[in-house]
Amino acid sequence: MAQKVKVRNLYKSFGSLSVLEGLDLDVEEGEVVCMIGPSGSGKSTFLRCLNRLEEATSGEIEINGQRISQKEIDINKVRENIGMVFQQFNLFPHLTVTENIMMAPIDLKKMTRAQAKKRALELLDRVGLRDKADAFPKQLSGGQQQRVAIARALAMNPAIMLFDEPTSALDPEMVGEVLQVMRELAEGGMTMIVVTHEMGFARDVADRVIFMSDGHIVEEGPPKEIILHPKEQRTKDFLSCVL
Amino acid sequence: MDFYGVFLDVWPMLLQGLGMTLKVSAIALFIAFFLGLASCLMGMSKVFLLKWISKAYVWVIRGTPFIVQLFIVKYGFPQLMKIWIPEFNIGITTAAIATLALNAGAYLSEIFRGGIQAVDVGQMEAARSLGLPRGHAMRKVILPQAIRICIPSLGNQFIITLKDSSLAQVIGLNELFYQGKIYVGYSFKSFETYILVGCVYLLVIAALSYIMNRIERGLDCGAKG
Repeated sequence: MAQKVKVRNLYKSFGSLSVLEGLDLDVEEGEVVCMIGPSGSGKSTFLRCLNRLEEATSGEIEINGQRISQKEIDINKVRENIGMVFQQFNLFPHLTVTENIMMAPIDLKKMTRAQAKKRALELLDRVGLRDKADAFPKQLSGGQQQRVAIARALAMNPAIMLFDEPTSALDPEMVGEVLQVMRELAEGGMTMIVVTHEMGFARDVADRVIFMSDGHIVEEGPPKEIILHPKEQRTKDFLSCVL
Repeated sequence: MDFYGVFLDVWPMLLQGLGMTLKVSAIALFIAFFLGLASCLMGMSKVFLLKWISKAYVWVIRGTPFIVQLFIVKYGFPQLMKIWIPEFNIGITTAAIATLALNAGAYLSEIFRGGIQAVDVGQMEAARSLGLPRGHAMRKVILPQAIRICIPSLGNQFIITLKDSSLAQVIGLNELFYQGKIYVGYSFKSFETYILVGCVYLLVIAALSYIMNRIERGLDCGAKG
C-alpha cells in the first residue's frame, strides 16, 4: 500500500501563539484517521496545513508522494488531489448544486462540460441528492449542503479527503445523513482524515484515532483502544466530558 | 406660471440635452466600472507599487472636488501637454467623460473593495482547496458574489455620476441642465424651466433605481423572502 500522507516535525505558530508543536503523522492508502481532542488543540490547523490553507512554520509534509512544504511546488496541482470539506460547507451560493460540483473540473480543464455534468450527476446520485441538481445552496438544508460539498470535493477525483468538523454546524437530525455518506466513502476505500467530535463515527469507521491536545499528539491507536481504553490521563479527561 | 407653454417650447432642447447627459454618463460609468475594478484589485495586490498606485488614485480623487478635477482635465492637463505637442487639445465631451470616469472609478474602487471583503473567507478557501488559482477563484467565486453585494452602492454611484454630469456645463457640455440654462437665457422663464429640468433628472433616476432593483432581485440565487 502506498503512503498518502507523511508529516514530520510540523510546527505552526500564529505570531507568538504556538498551535502545533512538532507533529508526526503517516497515513496509508485507504486508511481512515479520525482526529479528536478539545477545541483549540490544533486539529483544524493541522488539517489546513495539509493543503497549505495555512502555511506551516516548519516541518515536512508529503502528500501523495509530493513534498508540499517546498515553496516552489505548484500548490494548485497538489490541491487537486486533496478534497476538503469544511465545517460551514462553503458552497458557492451564486451557483446551482450541479454548477458547484462542475466548476473546478471545468475550470482546471480536467473535463469537458458534458463530462463534468455527467460526473456531477453521478456524484449527486451517490450522496442521494440527484433531485436537487438544479437547486441553489440556500434552498437546501444544512445536511444536504454538506453532502453537496462532499460531492464537490470528490469531483476532482482526489487521492485523499480532509474533513474539518463536517457535522459540527448541523442540526442534530442532519448529522446522520452526512456521516452515512462519509461511511460509504470510507468503505469505498477513500483515504480520509477526519477532524470530528462524533465519537460514534470515530469508533465505527476509523482505522485509527488520534487524540490531540495543546498542539501535540497525546495518544493514537485503533479506535477501541483510544476511545474505550485510553491510557493517557488527558485523553480520559476529554472522553469523560464528551461520552 | 406657464408650465405647459414652457414645456412645449423647451422639450426638444431638453430631450437633446438628456441624450448628451445619458451618453456621457453611460460611457463614463462603463469605463469607471473597469477602472474601479482594476484599482480595487490593484489595491488588494501584494505588489507594493500596484497597491500604492491604487491608494494614491483613490486618495487624490476623493480628496478633491469634481469641478476642480474637471478643470484640470479640460484646461490644466492640455496646457502641460502643449509643451511637447503644441496642437494638443481635449474636446469638451471627451473631457467630461474622462473626468466623470476617473471620479466614479475611485469611488467604485472602494465600493468593490467593500463588496469583496464582505464575501466570507470560506468561499476563497473552498475555491482554493479545489485547486483553483487565486485569480480564477477571484473571478469565478468571489467577484460574482461581491458585485451582488455591491449593487445598492453601485446604483448609488450611478445616480451620483449622472447628476454630476450636470456640472460639466461649466466647460460647455451641452447636456440637460446646459440646455435649460440656454433656454432661460432668452425666455427668462427660470422657474418653469429649472423645475422641468429637475423633473427630467428625477424621472431618469427613478427609472435607473427601478432597473437596479430588478437586477438585484434577479441575482437572488434562490434566497427566500
